[in-house]
Amino acid sequence: MDPQDLLDLLDDQQARRLRVIENLLRGRKTVSTLYWGQRYDLLYLLSLDKHLARGGLDTVAQTLVSQKMATWLPAEQPQLRLTALGRKQRDQAVTFRPKTQALWPQITLGLARQRLLLSVQVVSQYAHQTARYYPLTTDLATRQAVRQWFHQVKSPELATQVFTALTASLTRLPPMTAQVVTAGFSGYQQPGLTVQQLAQDLQRTPWEVYLRHVDGVVQIAQDARQTDHPLHALLAPAWQTAVTRSAQATLRAVATTDLTLDQVAVQRHIKPSTVREHLLEAAIMLPVTAVPYDRLLPPATRQALLAVLPAQLDDWEYTALPVALQQRFDFFTFRLLAILCDKEGDHHAGTPDD
Amino acid sequence: MPEPLTTSLQAVFGYSQFRAGQEAALTALEAGQDTLAVLPTGAGKTLIYQLYGYRHAGCVLIVSPLLALMTDQVNRMHLAGFRRVAAITSLTSFGERQMILAHLAQYQFLFLSPEMLAQPAMLARLRQLPLSLLVIDEAHCIVQWGPDFRPEYLLLGAIRERLGSPLTLMLTATADQATKGEIAKQLRTTPTEVTASLDRPNIFLDVEPVANDAAKRERLLTLVTQLVFPGVIYFSSKQLATDTAQWLRDQTGLPVAAYHAGLSSEDRFKIQQQFMQGDLAIICATSAFGMGIDKNDVRYVIHYHLPADLGSYAQEMGRAGRDGQPSLAVLLYAPGDERLPLTLNQANRPDDATIQRFYAHPQAFSVDDPGIALLTFYQQHGISATAVQALFERRERERGRALAQMLAYVREPQCLRARWLTTFDEVAPAHTATCCAPGKVALDLDALGLKRQPVSAPTPVAPSWQAQLRRLLIADAPR
Ligand SMILES: [Zn+2]
Repeated sequence: MDPQDLLDLLDDQQARRLRVIENLLRGRKTVSTLYWGQRYDLLYLLSLDKHLARGGLDTVAQTLVSQKMATWLPAEQPQLRLTALGRKQRDQAVTFRPKTQALWPQITLGLARQRLLLSVQVVSQYAHQTARYYPLTTDLATRQAVRQWFHQVKSPELATQVFTALTASLTRLPPMTAQVVTAGFSGYQQPGLTVQQLAQDLQRTPWEVYLRHVDGVVQIAQDARQTDHPLHALLAPAWQTAVTRSAQATLRAVATTDLTLDQVAVQRHIKPSTVREHLLEAAIMLPVTAVPYDRLLPPATRQALLAVLPAQLDDWEYTALPVALQQRFDFFTFRLLAILCDKEGDHHAGTPDD
Repeated sequence: MPEPLTTSLQAVFGYSQFRAGQEAALTALEAGQDTLAVLPTGAGKTLIYQLYGYRHAGCVLIVSPLLALMTDQVNRMHLAGFRRVAAITSLTSFGERQMILAHLAQYQFLFLSPEMLAQPAMLARLRQLPLSLLVIDEAHCIVQWGPDFRPEYLLLGAIRERLGSPLTLMLTATADQATKGEIAKQLRTTPTEVTASLDRPNIFLDVEPVANDAAKRERLLTLVTQLVFPGVIYFSSKQLATDTAQWLRDQTGLPVAAYHAGLSSEDRFKIQQQFMQGDLAIICATSAFGMGIDKNDVRYVIHYHLPADLGSYAQEMGRAGRDGQPSLAVLLYAPGDERLPLTLNQANRPDDATIQRFYAHPQAFSVDDPGIALLTFYQQHGISATAVQALFERRERERGRALAQMLAYVREPQCLRARWLTTFDEVAPAHTATCCAPGKVALDLDALGLKRQPVSAPTPVAPSWQAQLRRLLIADAPR
């Protein structure tokens, strides 16, 4: 990531923890990372760079600070805030905004990407009747899924169907994004260009090129949700896992029975704290309607807490609550209320003009 | 009576003739003799065990230290028409490993990394398999101390016995007498030796001393500007390979890419295929580049850093000129270049005090450190601190000796080819004008016919993405 890419992830009103951004990119789905990811409106970064090393953004952050674009805030975890100069720089740059960004936390990107790339290669070689070629290196599960899919859909029309479907998806995106996605495909007489090479050709940062690539993959996967799409059987499974299976089971148990959270823990053979983590994860990742807020946060609870909490959501601190309230309501309840308020758009932090 | 070897060769690969060494190795194996084949890069070593596996029931078990490249190898076997092939390494996912283990008996070729083979559970499973052949690839790793050294190779002798001492093929591109003896000793066998000449007469050898790093960079640029494509430049670090690729691209406008183990497998695939297809003029590589590349028309290989030994050097520069056409191997040398391989030699080697402290309190150390990981391995296999010290000292002496041979090549005043080949106990042909240019002799690219003719290539117009997608997926699209 180049400094200008990180600049785009920071704010002048809201100090942001570099570790949260790093953990989002690395796909570390702890409740704390997810919560702050939501607060920063950066959940779309989730699992985008699984190979990023711990501390992998430190150098880039230091560069921004030394350029006086951002300042460190001394805190338990280092936080970054844009300076006026940084804000100006950020607003002046024509930054790329992925069109499908809101969908990114909902998709298992690695799965969708690998399946799409391998299936395009297979169809391309099939269309040109090449029997022997080097397949892209993928894991066994991807190879099996693509092989199975291919045997089911193989027909003389397949290549044209895939071409039509991909063209329709890519037409919905900016031409440069369509170009990035197409040039990155491997297939007949086309090894495909790497992100670095495309960045060089297009005079963009590798990060932006990568975001464009992801935008294209997600757009294609989104269109493939239609059952008559040629890649439907292959890509639809990428949408099933926004929340872990285990968290889904917990949510189901809470939403469909009258058991207390501790009873759910016993029934599911998991720790009571895990039940609460599952619910917070689901609350962050799923729409408001998916979580039984009325049961978990009765009106009296909301009123009691909201009466003493600051207007700015980012200023909420559990340990700053009066001791009596801390004894009545656990951290889970406090955090769940914060998630609900965020989702309902109350108490939204940030600048008036964004 | 099985069919003649040439009949099998024709049936499987469609060739009518073996290359040097292949038939001799197969004949020895067919006679039930363990075989050590020392064949140069590009001699088609894999064909030996592929054909043997084709001719005999049971499983061919291949032990190879090159983890990342094993998948490549499996792909290439698939490509060659072998279906029942699998690889298990530490990079294999748990699910995939379970899947392979569940169908173990069905595989005709099984690639295993040494550390996988050393696991008792794995060994127990393999003991139940009917093995037709055990292949030790890169067998020189048994004695080589370097970044790719795997301590598990030291267990191979014992493992081989546990497997019932199956017929064994040892493969390497490089081994002097001492190394060959050590391989045989470690594997507890007296193999038939099959060798082919290492010499590559069509590769002109050149050593160029330069004053310092800046001069080296300038010389590289001059060479790259003048030489015909395609070429490979080897570096000892990923960073320098990456930076130089960028610099050369900026300076020359040529399509140049970097290739190293730090790239994602997707990027490695793309760069490799671009190079194979002729989209790239130059690859700036680390030693990770090579095995997966079957490119015959590489015209030159330049070494920007000093390789750690002559064997590795021969293997890397040997990637030039597989088509038999005139090619060039350049070694750039600045005073002090030998410090880098020396440091690399010692980098992972724990000193005596560390060894003592480790053996006293193993728990106090982190296995993240490669040196400590090595010590942990030795300790777990019951090797004493004193024995480990002796082992390290011996390896360091061997590395020192190998580096001295490398430097002797660099400083050779008369004939580089003679220096190289005699190091490997081979008699060199007489020096001629098309043989080599030692340090004090200037390189004449015109005479070699390797000078690039200036061509004004039209700038290719990038097709629209729609046209590109159409070409990719529709067979009769305009090309
Ligand atoms: Zn000579």
